Amino acid sequence: MGDELDLLRAADPARADDGPWRDGPLHARAERGLNRLLHSARTKRARRRLVLRAEAAVLALGAALAFTFSDAGSGKAVAMPVALAPRADAPAVPLAELARRAEARARTAGAADGPHRGSHLQSWYLSMRTGPDAAPPVTVPEERITRWRADGSGSELVVATDPRLPGRPVINDTGGSWHTVNDGKVLHRKTYPAGSADGQRQRRLTVRTKPPTDPGALRDQLATLYGGGGGGRGDTAGPAGARTPQLLLALSSLRQEWTPGPRETAAIVRVLADAEGLRPAGAVTDRLGRRGQAYVYDGPDGGRNATRQMVILDPRTGQLLGSEITFTKNLPDLRIRSGEVLSYEAWMP
Amino acid sequence: MSTDDAFADAYRAHYWAVSRFVARRLDGQAHEVEEVVAEVFSIAWRRRAELPDAPLPWLYGVARNCLANTVRGLGRYRRLLHRIGHHEAAHGRQTVDSPDTERPGSWVHDVLARLSAADQEVLRLTAWEELTVEELAVTLGCGQSAAAMRLHRARRRLRAEIDRTRMTVSVRAGDDGNG
Repeated sequence: MGDELDLLRAADPARADDGPWRDGPLHARAERGLNRLLHSARTKRARRRLVLRAEAAVLALGAALAFTFSDAGSGKAVAMPVALAPRADAPAVPLAELARRAEARARTAGAADGPHRGSHLQSWYLSMRTGPDAAPPVTVPEERITRWRADGSGSELVVATDPRLPGRPVINDTGGSWHTVNDGKVLHRKTYPAGSADGQRQRRLTVRTKPPTDPGALRDQLATLYGGGGGGRGDTAGPAGARTPQLLLALSSLRQEWTPGPRETAAIVRVLADAEGLRPAGAVTDRLGRRGQAYVYDGPDGGRNATRQMVILDPRTGQLLGSEITFTKNLPDLRIRSGEVLSYEAWMP
Repeated sequence: MSTDDAFADAYRAHYWAVSRFVARRLDGQAHEVEEVVAEVFSIAWRRRAELPDAPLPWLYGVARNCLANTVRGLGRYRRLLHRIGHHEAAHGRQTVDSPDTERPGSWVHDVLARLSAADQEVLRLTAWEELTVEELAVTLGCGQSAAAMRLHRARRRLRAEIDRTRMTVSVRAGDDGNG
């Protein structure tokens, strides 16, 4: 007979080698849970702005705009980017029409046309610290390239840069702490050898799971893997239209993991065409000088309803070119003025 | 390794261990266990800056608080702990004794349930979560000597309860409890 702890051990109601909680690979729901948490960090800056909860009212951002603009004058790239202005006089392309164009293009796509794992984008985010000692907001411009090859090797590169002000110092945000770095400074560089497909990062479901080419399946994936507006648990609160801003944030997250090919692009445009409250706003030239069509959502955003989200698509192919979130109201407690840019992303092939 | 990477590693490495921790203490269905586990990791995520190099005992500590909060509102915690002996039945699983192992049945759970909640917890953490005294201290949020003392006393009381039960079982049912 064993001692009392042996007896207790033998009566373990949830064993590690047997039963529903035995050790093994994570199931899809557990993977999804992890992805939600990791994803929440990636988009926290944008979400922080979107949600703008009540605690924001106690922020003491002290002379935020004064700091921002005076520093811009001294050469640091902290000035907020100016919001893009779609030309309403140009003929707008309805999303349904663009979806048909993208679908036509998808039908001629070959096997090598993607999707490709990885992405290339330039981005700005308005970054603010919170709390009584909070410093003023700054924009954080960077360019990020992530590439994965079929053999499981890959690389990531993040460079601080502001194409509007080449050669100027750039503000870098490291976990809420700001540093001035040189334009072009490599913030992060990592290479993964062949076979890294078994590595931790590669195991993440968002990285492993190709974006579907069926709009319904894509909508589901955006909801389950990227927390976006498709009725996933925890995302159903608020009016139906409030799902569209979440959908757009989820698309941004998807686009940071994958570069869609024509088939996935067609599904994306169809999902956008079906999204509530997204309307054509006219032609626009994006931050990289490309001509696009702007579609905006300025309905309920699940927070103070003080933001407008814009997605920019290539009018010939439906390809995602970029996104922009701007404020539509003055938020005196945050020293934010209507029209200021909260975030911007420009995606490259 | 970034904090987020460390958290992701801990999540993958310990998801099932945390699930078992919750399952052993929550008289619920699998989906309820899963919901509590999701909440545990959600709280752990918010506190990920505190994540130690050996995260499991710390995660158990988070899970303890989470579990208490989860069921406290329902006024069920104490009752659930006392019903833990029926845990396997609640999940539709039957204990099947293999020929070469002794699986004391629910009587051990009954014995455990007769101890104080604090004794039960220190014993479960040691026997089921297989924590060392050092890890016990992390999970319970106390010093190591206090943890060692709590375990020592709990073992002594468990031993006494087992002896008393065995005596009763032997008298009632012959050699049944002495496999």
